[in-house]
Amino acid sequence: MSWLPRISLVVIAVSAALPAYAQTVTITTAGGDYGKAMKEAMWEPAAKELGYDVHEETQSDGLAALKMQVTSGAVTTDIIHLGSPEGAQAAAQSLLEPLDYKIIDPKSVPAGAKSDYCYPFDSYGTVMSWNTKTLGENPPKTWAEFWDVAKFPNRRALRANAQDLIEIALLSDGVAPADVYTVLSTPEGLQRAIKRLEAIKPDVSVWWTSGAQSAQLLKDGEADLVVTWNGRAQTVKADGGAVDYTFKGSVIGTDCLGVPKGAQNKDAAMKLIAAMTQPARVAKLTDFIAYGPVNPAAYEGDLIPKDRLKTLATAPENAGTSVFSNADWWVKNGEAAQKAFDEMISR
Amino acid sequence: MTIAADPVLAADGRRERRFFLSLSLPALCIVGLAAILPLLWIIRQSFLTTAGEYTVGNYDKVLSSGLTWSALAATLELSLGTLVVCILLGTPLALALASARPRVANVLMAFVMLPLWTSILVRTYGWLVLLRRDGLINAALTALGLTAEPLPLVYNFTGTLIGMVHYMLPLFLLPVYAAMRDIDTNLIRAAASMGATLGQVIRTVILPLSAGGIFSGSIIVFIYTIGFFITPAVLGGGKVNPLAIRIERTLSTFQDWGSASVLGILLLVLMALIAVMFLTARRLMAYNKMGAAHA
Repeated sequence: MSWLPRISLVVIAVSAALPAYAQTVTITTAGGDYGKAMKEAMWEPAAKELGYDVHEETQSDGLAALKMQVTSGAVTTDIIHLGSPEGAQAAAQSLLEPLDYKIIDPKSVPAGAKSDYCYPFDSYGTVMSWNTKTLGENPPKTWAEFWDVAKFPNRRALRANAQDLIEIALLSDGVAPADVYTVLSTPEGLQRAIKRLEAIKPDVSVWWTSGAQSAQLLKDGEADLVVTWNGRAQTVKADGGAVDYTFKGSVIGTDCLGVPKGAQNKDAAMKLIAAMTQPARVAKLTDFIAYGPVNPAAYEGDLIPKDRLKTLATAPENAGTSVFSNADWWVKNGEAAQKAFDEMISR
Repeated sequence: MTIAADPVLAADGRRERRFFLSLSLPALCIVGLAAILPLLWIIRQSFLTTAGEYTVGNYDKVLSSGLTWSALAATLELSLGTLVVCILLGTPLALALASARPRVANVLMAFVMLPLWTSILVRTYGWLVLLRRDGLINAALTALGLTAEPLPLVYNFTGTLIGMVHYMLPLFLLPVYAAMRDIDTNLIRAAASMGATLGQVIRTVILPLSAGGIFSGSIIVFIYTIGFFITPAVLGGGKVNPLAIRIERTLSTFQDWGSASVLGILLLVLMALIAVMFLTARRLMAYNKMGAAHA
């Protein structure tokens, strides 16, 4: 069993003996198409510019990997890619270094999405989508109409998870996007949202559990009104499905980049985060995947082709009526919200 | 009896038994490593907080939650429902198989066993294709004018039950079929020669003699279905939430390993209780039968 420490000792000795030609930084991404998109659009050009030698590791469960590295004291990665709620969770468990906003431009994040520990760089929307065969040109225009089962007696499919639905339920109840979390921070706020979901429950034919399932329900016409992620709806639409969707009233979630507590190349990691999230680079990401930049500057100067803008959750024309999912609220109230949600379903 | 009287042969027999016992050692080791150790770990986990301190709070939390009890009710509803349908469908089927000519019985048996050899995931998604609104069954029903609207066959309790019965029927059928095939045909002939009608033969000869098989089949169905996850997850549409789904949710959505372990133990206790109940019932039945024979 002692070969592992021995080999690492040798590796450390050899790397210490070699003259340091370049700053090395290790980045952990989710891999797959998304990881490849981030590499080509974001960190590879940034590394070239900074003269860094960047290594990539991939992990499907970023938070679990981060927790293991930090708690075992063997931090091998310098930058880690997380979903913003996981990023907030990691920050709450002291697994991340605070972001250095002297290196990273604080103005590159809208106030609603700002985080002290995990830098949000791209986004997706939880949107209303519908079957264009059954609803034609007259789909619900707002969440209030989505809730109007007399006007739209169609079958609905919603995610079997409180995330985003709590916010949407309040929007449907007449709460303004800017006030959603103000309402949710009151004791009655959550109950109000749950009550609203309970009202629509008899018309929900499926509570879906995976994005792929929601896409299938849309495609098959099993449900006419589906709350799903913009990427899924866009894929069904692009494949010729009788489906459309709107970003109006969407709940925007973000993915973020964090630096693990005790990372070996902390400062270099901050510099790389700043460089790889330059407007042109996060704009370029949309060449590969329909996840829109968080940085408002990326939408200026035609960095993103005009026809692509309408497929991105954070495009200026889409984001006005949206709510930014508040990761901090979810870290604090997620368990209570999920429990109330499950109880609502089992009633 | 006469063998045991001879000391040399008895020693031989003992050695042979020891040898056969030693053959099961690897299997015993695997069971120990793969079943007992993880179980002990789960029991330990059920007494730990997320910070790793000992507590009974997980039990308190799980047992006082209404979600646990509604999941338990859903579990029993599904298992009992599956069992009832299996008995209603499986017993006549086993009777038909047992009384068919061997060649025909073999072909029929192959049809019964075929689904057993197919992956449960494939079968479950197969049912999704058949049962959904624009699926084969609903398309046929509406085309024939039997129903005006597609029937809600899936993403509910009905769909889950269909999927579970489909999975469990062969496993129920096998012991019942075996018991029925072992019935001495002379008994049936004797009953018939005494003037018993077919119904009387089935009621007074065949069913009592195959009760053991029906019992074994029932235990298998109940114990299996109590832990079912895939079928309710795919065909239940989020509305059918038995204990297994509750466990998965506790792990993935709540990341609460302690409570999930408590739920796992609850499931195990439930299985043990049901097994004991069935076995006691079977012993009582056998005892009554013996008593009747002696009387």
